[in-house]
Order: sequence, then structure tokens, then C-alpha cells
Amino acid sequence: MNSRSLWLLGAGLLSMAGAASAVETQGLSGANPHPLHLVRPRTAPLSAMAQLGREIFSDASLSSSGALSCASCHSPEHHYGPPNDGPVMLGGRDLSQQGARAVPSLTYLERTPNFSIGPEQSDDDNIVPLAQMAALGQQSARAKKTASATAASAANIVPQGGLFWDGRADTLQSQALFPLLDPHEMDGGSIERVADKFRHAAYADRFTGLFGEGVFSNPKLLVAEAMFAVARYQFEDVSFHPYTSKYDYWLEGKARLSESELRGLQLFNDPEKANCGGCHLSNPTREGLPPLFTDHQYEALGVPRNGLLAQNRDSGFFDLGACGPARKDIAEQTQYCGMFVTPTLRNAANRHAFFHNGVFNSLQQVLDFYNFRDTNPDKVYPRAADGTVEKYDDLPAKYHANVDVSDPPFDRHPGETPAMTAQDEADIIAFLNTLTDGYQPEK
Amino acid sequence: MKTKLLSTVAPTVVAAMLLNSTTAFAAGYVNPNNLPTATPIKHIVVIFNENRSFDHYFATYPVAANPAGEIPFVSKPHTPTAANLKTAGLLTNNPNDTNAANGTGATNPFRLDRTQANTASQNHAYTPEQEAYDNGKMDLFPKFTGRGTAGGVGAFGTSGQVMGYFDGNTVTALWNYAQNFAMNDNAYTDSYGPSTPGALAVVAGQNNGAVNVLGTTSTIPDGQGGLTLINDTDPAFDVCSSKTSTLYMTGKNIGDLLNAAEISWGGFMGGFDLTRTNINNTTGCARSTFSSVTSGSTADYIPHHNWFMYYKSTSNPTHARPSSLQAVGHTLQPNGESLDPANHEYDLEDFYGAVLGGNYPAVSYIKLPAYQDGHAGYSDPLDEQEGTVQLINFLQQQPDWDSTLVILTYDDSDGWYDHLYAKPTWASYDPTADQVNGPGQCGTGVATQVQPNGVNGKPVNGRCGPGTRIPFIVISPFAKQNYISAKRITQSSVVRFIEDNWLNGQRLGGGSLDATSGLITDMLDFTQAPNNKLFLDPTAGTVTVSVP
Repeated sequence: MNSRSLWLLGAGLLSMAGAASAVETQGLSGANPHPLHLVRPRTAPLSAMAQLGREIFSDASLSSSGALSCASCHSPEHHYGPPNDGPVMLGGRDLSQQGARAVPSLTYLERTPNFSIGPEQSDDDNIVPLAQMAALGQQSARAKKTASATAASAANIVPQGGLFWDGRADTLQSQALFPLLDPHEMDGGSIERVADKFRHAAYADRFTGLFGEGVFSNPKLLVAEAMFAVARYQFEDVSFHPYTSKYDYWLEGKARLSESELRGLQLFNDPEKANCGGCHLSNPTREGLPPLFTDHQYEALGVPRNGLLAQNRDSGFFDLGACGPARKDIAEQTQYCGMFVTPTLRNAANRHAFFHNGVFNSLQQVLDFYNFRDTNPDKVYPRAADGTVEKYDDLPAKYHANVDVSDPPFDRHPGETPAMTAQDEADIIAFLNTLTDGYQPEK
Repeated sequence: MKTKLLSTVAPTVVAAMLLNSTTAFAAGYVNPNNLPTATPIKHIVVIFNENRSFDHYFATYPVAANPAGEIPFVSKPHTPTAANLKTAGLLTNNPNDTNAANGTGATNPFRLDRTQANTASQNHAYTPEQEAYDNGKMDLFPKFTGRGTAGGVGAFGTSGQVMGYFDGNTVTALWNYAQNFAMNDNAYTDSYGPSTPGALAVVAGQNNGAVNVLGTTSTIPDGQGGLTLINDTDPAFDVCSSKTSTLYMTGKNIGDLLNAAEISWGGFMGGFDLTRTNINNTTGCARSTFSSVTSGSTADYIPHHNWFMYYKSTSNPTHARPSSLQAVGHTLQPNGESLDPANHEYDLEDFYGAVLGGNYPAVSYIKLPAYQDGHAGYSDPLDEQEGTVQLINFLQQQPDWDSTLVILTYDDSDGWYDHLYAKPTWASYDPTADQVNGPGQCGTGVATQVQPNGVNGKPVNGRCGPGTRIPFIVISPFAKQNYISAKRITQSSVVRFIEDNWLNGQRLGGGSLDATSGLITDMLDFTQAPNNKLFLDPTAGTVTVSVP
């Protein structure tokens, strides 16, 4: 088989189409030889609940500064992600407080599974505690994560799912409350204070219409309903999950990828090269749902410490992700310290804050990290006064064993050839640019 | 759109439709239409959905909030009043709000919107439910049966959520069935607890007589050297069951009596056929379906919901396929000699296929695929409505509708708030598990109220009941119109009706509650002009003029 069929096999696309025949594309056409049908969410007029959520989403009066709404940091013009180039956003009463982590995009969260350790249990009658699953995970074999064998690693008993970088919220409703009350973000003050703002909002009568007159006398319920309305807006409004990237249209046979983009897709899915597809899944699901470019699993990658974050001026402070400090319920599972969730790569090309600490601000830096972390760590990490490279400087030494050194390309060693050439990295970046929404397909 | 229904059933249906209907009852099979029965009912279909309390679905019946932009529900004139939160005046000043023991979860009942169909599930185990009921004060639901799992990413959840209720803007179909047929507002589970005790109650009226096979199980010692199943455990030997915790039951169930009388019957469950492959390429025990309401996939077949798998005599551990659609419902193959491999346990698709082929069993128990079974967390009222309405639309189009009784009821309440306590009729005194009337107490005390008998004829613990109040709707030409019955019934009343109608009142014995449960016949009138059919839109739940 020629090399072009090889990468299609790696992408799983040939097997999905059920065809083993040789690929018939000519080198320059760039079209998907096996187009398929993608199932996008149904579009419908927003429900009354979602319309209420839309009002709340852009209501800056809910913040103590009067200047921040959800939309300020989750900017609709920036794929509901940060609107500027900083690693984190500034908030609080006087807009001078740094947020703890880089702002995630709110796009493509509508299929996020609940937080679990191992695949989600669908039997609600017998809930297995997280600690029990974590113990099981430590005894279980863990399949290597490669782009050509994602079904195997999907069964790994590792943390997966949930919202935020550490999965501490299972639902969009519960997620929305955190920034609203966080003193470094919207600083809403308290449930009572926020509830009072809703009682006097211009859209207050929308609450009683949906929930009855009694809702205003129960502040906790009022705020829960308001956060649900925001969640419902995100769930229903197509702008949060349009699936209109060039890659989506390429999958459907309605767009052509350039040579560089095609090479990038091949490298993306090649376990011997970048192996991005091992965690950032690039294939549609069996039901035809477009790929989310994440398997929602957690990884400790050991990205460098970000000196621009005020919290990092304290050399004893470490953001450990799943085991804390923001998330508090599995702190004793120290095997997860340093682990953060795999985010989607959709719309990543327009971001300027990568990883939980925003330490990188370009895709080039991100790819250099993947490429050189193990073969040339001096290109990634700072040097100590004595000249030694401070690998994994954002993780206490006792947790360095948590870092992934088994999934390609992290299985290489100092002095070995890096997985990607400079051209490879450029091609992958070209491919990542095809994951941005708003592409206009031909004809 | 009959084609829509057909497109969802197996290719074998097409073959079935080519069957000559006279061959549908070969080999000495008796057509149920010719069986002697106490009433004109020749076919009963029990649609056994999941996890909803009466008030949770009917709190304000028949009045819906009808917010702007939602399909309004307008009740028919002369609709009788139901014993619900509205008529009880409990929508405000509710004890679950005023009782400080509920902490931050304290709240009055509140309306759940149609957009909130996907919610978290509650805690619905045997003991927490008793604790919530608080010796009849019904005031500790947020404290004891508050949230179980989160539900999907778009789900609604709040700490007092157990007090939420839907109205006719969401459970539109159920309200329409209630308006046009009959329901009971005094129907209970036989005992407190979740799905499996409920499943056993509706086929056997007995949850005592469990035998552990693998690992530890959700049983308690019954005080007579045996075990009673009070929570969920998977059935032993089912290839899809847990590999670490299973059991089987030693009593009899209604299937045993029907087998002895050679009456056709079956348990039909979504996902049961392990040889089929779903649209998403899942197969075997892992068959699953994606729901756009929950925005997630869930396995179609859930072993601990399978009534008949718990009994060796009626089990089908390998999910063996019936030898043909003709054989569905029958113990023997059409040749009259060999046993049919399926042993009365089939896929839901087999029900559609058999009925379309003229082989409509006398007794059918139905479980929709899990995403449609109504259980909070992985299913929801809108998906439940779709599957339920499709089935009932289908049944009303069959020639034997004129002798059909559909019962739509539930296996447990999920711990959702309900305001009506049933003083225990069946006592239990396990020191830890029983709490409803005090520590270790369900009933007035051994001296004054002995526990009900177990399978060996002696009083046993673990059967505290009646438990939680559940919806119970009958749909039939013989159902009274727009009628609400207040006669106390429980899940085992279904068993009793089958025994009274087909088996001359034969009883299971072994402490089964069939002998003492209430009658459902108050909801039926066999002298009236047959009730009109009611076709609904499966998505909206609204009345349609033509068949959807």
C-alpha cells in the first residue's frame, strides 16, 4: 500500500468506510477519498430557558467590578475563549487579580462525560466510589495511547471527563457558578447577593414565567436555575458547537486540504511521528458524530512552570490539577498529581494560552514542547544556577513519576532523534488551522 | 407513518409479515383469543418503566404552567382531582422546606421545565427512602434521597432537587393518557427500595428467597436463615451480569403458572438480543444508544431490570434466540417436541415482530431500551415518552386491540418526593435496614404486627411495604375515561390480575403478596362502549388526528 493509504488507515478512515481498496486520489486533489456523513446537533429556535441563559451570559452587573460577564472571558468572537494574549485573565473587584489557570473555550463541551476513573458507569443504582476505582486503576494494566489503537486506551482505568482543567464540575450548570463566585474572577460575592441581582434584573420576569412566583424566595434554587439557564444556552445555541471547520467539511467531501495540511493530518495520526491522535481523537464516532479531538482523559505532561503567574512567585506553590488545590475530593490519590484533562483542539489555532498554566502562547511552542521534552529538555525547561536542566519544574520531585513517559512521542530519551522535523511541525500547525470553525465550504 | 415504526424493527419482521396467519398458531399453540378468561381481556402488556414517583409526574395535574413558547396543556372538562401536591396544598409551606434537618437542600416543591428533562438521579435505596419518609411525616427527602449521580453534562441538578416535579409541558403523553383512560393515585411499590425488588414484585410479589452466587449482594438476612433482596443485584448466570456480585431467587413467578397452563407469555427487553449490532456498531451486552436529550450513550440492556432472569425456571442466561417468531411466547417449538431456546425471554424487537406476524402473546412484560426507560441520570421523560408512545400507538393499530389491556407503571420512585405515606402493611424489623417508624422498625412491633411470610412460610425481614407511591395508568378499550381510582394497589396487583383473569385465581404461594394485593379492576368497565383510541405524537406527546 502506498504511504497515502497508510495514513488513512492510521486515521481509521479506511476501516470505517469498510474499504480496503487502494486509495485513488491523485496527489494534488486534496479531497477525502471516503467522504462520510456527519451528524450535527439539531438547530432549533432557543427555548425560553436558553433565552434567559443568553441574557445572564452577557450580564456584567453580576460581577463586583460591574465589568465582567461570562462573555468577557468566554468571548463569543473568540470561540468562547479568551479575547487576548495573556496566559490568564484578570478579574476581581478592580480587575487586577489573575485567574488561577488559562481560560478554556466553552465550545464543544456538550458531549463531555461526567468525571470518572475508567469508562463512565451507566448503572446509576450502584455507584462505585472514586477511591475504589482509583485503587482498581493502580492494579490494572494501562494500554499505550496510540492514534491507531484508541479503542484499547479508551478502556484504561484513568481519570476522565468533567469540566475545568481538573474535572471538578460534572455539568455545565455547576461549572457556571464557579467563575461567578470566584473572588479572582467575577467575584459575585455570595449566592444571596447574586440572587438579589437576579430579582432586580431587567429579565427578572423570565424567572417567574418558567419557575413560578416562589423561585425568588429561595436564593439557592434561584441561582441554580439561573446557572441551568446559562448551561441550556450553551447546550442549545449552535454557536457553541457548530462543527463548521475546514476539517469537518473535508470529512464530508466538501473541502480539499492543501498538501501541507494533508501531511499534517498524516503526522497527527502517525504513532511513530507526532501521535497527537492517541489522545486528541480525530475520527468521527460510530454514530457519525464529528470528532471532538479529545478522549477526555487526564495526563501529566510536566509542562514548564509559568513565571508570569503571581501564584508561582511562591516557589512552594504547585498547581497539581486533579489532586488539587482547586479540586479537593481526590487529594489523597497522589498518583494523579500533575494530571490535567485533555482539551479539544478545535479552535486551538486561534488561542494564545496553551495548557492549564498558559505557559505557551503559540502552537509552535506547543509542538516544540512535545518534540523536545525528552530528547532535548534544555530547549523546553530553564536551567538552574548550576547549569542542570530543571525538567518538570512545575511539579514537586515526588510526583515526577506521574509524568507520562510511555505514550509516543514521550517515550524518547535524551540525545535520540526528535519525533518531528521543523517541516513536520509546520505541517501539523497547518492541519491544526483546519480545525477552526467558520470555514466556508466550496459550492 | 407506519414505515417509521417498521424501520426500527428487525429485518425478521418483514419475513414475519409474510407468514400466513393460520400458521401462526401451529403445533397446538392456542390462540390467546380463544383462551377462557374471567374478563374480555385476552392480551395484557405491562410497560414497566423506571424511577418516578406519583407527585413527581402528577404534582399539579391537570394544570400545567404553560410558559410562553412551550406547547400548552389544556385539561379536559370534568377531570377528577388527583391526590397530588396541588390539591394537598403542599406546593408551599412544605415540610421539606421548613424542616431544618434538610440543611441547604431544604426547599418547597418546584417545577422542572421541559428543558430540564435530563436531571441527576436520586438516592433510592431501601433504607434512605424509609428515612426520608420519616414515620409518615414525609419531610426528609432532601436529606436522605438527595442527588445520586450527576446526569449528563447538560443536566439540571441542585441539592433540593428531589423536590422537583414535571408537569404536562414535559410528561405530556402521560397526562393525555390519564385524561382519556384511567389511572390510580393510590398505587405503591410492594416494598421500599430500587429496581430489582420492584421487578420481582411485579412478577412474583416476593423478594425473599435469594441465594447468593457470586460475591456479596444487596441482601439482608431474613431472620429465618435465608436472604431477602432489598436493593439491586444482578441475576446469576446472565452472560451480561456483573462478574463479582450475583444471585438468583428460589420462589415462583407468574411465568411458572402461565407455563403450567400453556398460556403464551414473554419478557421483552430492549438490547436483549446480543446478536444484533446497533447503528453505532455496538453489539452483545455492550449494545448502546445515543440520546440527544442526555447527550450521551447508555447500554440498552440492564441485567438487574430483568424480572424473569432471576428464576432458573424462566431464565435465558445466554440470551438464546427464539427458534422463530412463531415460537415467541411459547415453551415448545412449533414441532411440539423440543423446547424453544429462548425460554420466554426476548428482545423488544421480537415483540413487535411477533405481534405483526399474528403471534400476539397473552401476557407480555416490556422494558424499553435503557435510554428510553425513564430512569433519571441516563434516561429522561422525553426519551421515555418517545418509546412508550410508539409502543402504545403500535398496539392500538393491531386487530386485537379490542381485547388488550396496557398497564403503564414503574419499578420504583427513584426517591423523588411524594407526599402520601402508606402505613406499613408488611412489617420488617432489621435493626439497620429498617428505619421508617424508628430505628430497626417498620411496623408496630413484632408483638402486634408480624412480618409477612417468606418463601418457606415463616415471617421474614426485608419486605417493608407498601413502599413509595408510583404512577399507574391503564390504557384499553375497557379503561374508564378520564378516571382516577383511589383503590389501594401495588405492583403485585398486576400478578393478581393475571391470575384472576387467566388462571382462575390460582396463587403463587410462598408468601407472595398476590394473595393480598388490591384489584386494578376499579379502573376498568367491561360493560361500557369501548373507549376511543388515542394516538399521540411520540416527540411532543400531543394528540394527533392521524396515526403518526
